[in-house]
Amino acid sequence: MSDLNVFIEKATAVTTGHPFELEIAPIWRLAQTGDEKAYEQALRLIAQRLRSFFRRRMNNTPEDAEDMVQETLLAIHTRRHTYDDAFPVSAWIMAIAKYKLIDFWRKHGRRDTLTDEFDDADLSQQSTVTTEAVTSNVADIQKLLRTLPDKQRQAIELIKILGLSVSEAAQQTGLSESALKVQVHRGIKQLAALVAKKTA
Amino acid sequence: MKTDAFIEFLAKGSRAEPAPALSHKLFWALSIAGLLSLALALTIIGPLPAETFMTPTPWIKFAYTVSLAVAATFLTIRLARPVADRRAPSVWLGLVLLAMLAYGAWHLVLTPEQAKQQALFGQTSLLCPWLVLLVSLPGLFALQLALRAFGPVHLSQAGFACGLLAGAIGATAYAMACPEDSPTFVAVWYTLGIVLTSAVGAISGRWLLRWS
Repeated sequence: MSDLNVFIEKATAVTTGHPFELEIAPIWRLAQTGDEKAYEQALRLIAQRLRSFFRRRMNNTPEDAEDMVQETLLAIHTRRHTYDDAFPVSAWIMAIAKYKLIDFWRKHGRRDTLTDEFDDADLSQQSTVTTEAVTSNVADIQKLLRTLPDKQRQAIELIKILGLSVSEAAQQTGLSESALKVQVHRGIKQLAALVAKKTA
Repeated sequence: MKTDAFIEFLAKGSRAEPAPALSHKLFWALSIAGLLSLALALTIIGPLPAETFMTPTPWIKFAYTVSLAVAATFLTIRLARPVADRRAPSVWLGLVLLAMLAYGAWHLVLTPEQAKQQALFGQTSLLCPWLVLLVSLPGLFALQLALRAFGPVHLSQAGFACGLLAGAIGATAYAMACPEDSPTFVAVWYTLGIVLTSAVGAISGRWLLRWS
């Protein structure tokens, strides 16, 4: 645990003037005001940074690294309200990434177990596991969505996939705006739990 | 690219998600911790007679345990988030602890030789730390469950902070029932009970605080 602290202190010190911090900070600030385009751009930048972070540390398993990028993006998304602007946003992001990496190692063991698993595994099974785990394209998301309760699924489909505004979605479903927001939020949380279970 | 589609999915309508009410969660966990500790202390040991509260003894205990609880709350809130500066609350915790230890030592020095043993050990020194731990455990569990929603990354440390907080709350409740009246006793055995709870919190935090 103590090297995690050292890491975070270093990261805080270094990142204030770090190119990634300089790049992400203004976009993140804009995203926090509710600008969706800025948020999407911020997530793309973060994804790049995460990709190099995870690839360097998980070089035997690039597919797992990409899964970790997505899992960390999801964690950043669902916990973005815990960001405290007294700290550089890059330090916050990397603290979550580091936590996710440790969590991954805890579940899967270090590098050696990973390569063993891969060598021993039945390759056809391996590929179904990875396609199940990658929730990245819309078809996969819809497969996952089917496992959610109807209200949550509907709310996510209308707002997240069809891209309706909350008030439009409220008119279509007859639900109140705040109820819809809650359904979307719960649905995303549930999806996060599902993805975590599948990659475990 | 697949990650790109995933990012679009997250970003689209992201304004539509309400900010989770984290402070509410913590407030409820704190209230539950306080009530459970109090209920346990009063049912296991039973309340002190009302006239005891006219003497300074229980108030010294409350001053110590409540100050600890306040400092521990700040430490817990700090450690609940992914990036944290825990220096200020740690300093406050240290000061409260030092003040009580100094007061306890001073009281022991002033106590006449033949009463020193009684001032240090009282009647219940062997029981006290375990009872403080016992009345703190349900609150510890409630606090750790609430904390998980924040996304702590130093699980042992955050668990330790939860334990400290639950222990301080538990000790406050225990002071409602504890008949010991020496500040030296409080400085040693109450503190030991709180430290025990913190240790349990640090260990259980590694599992209970895990989130994904």
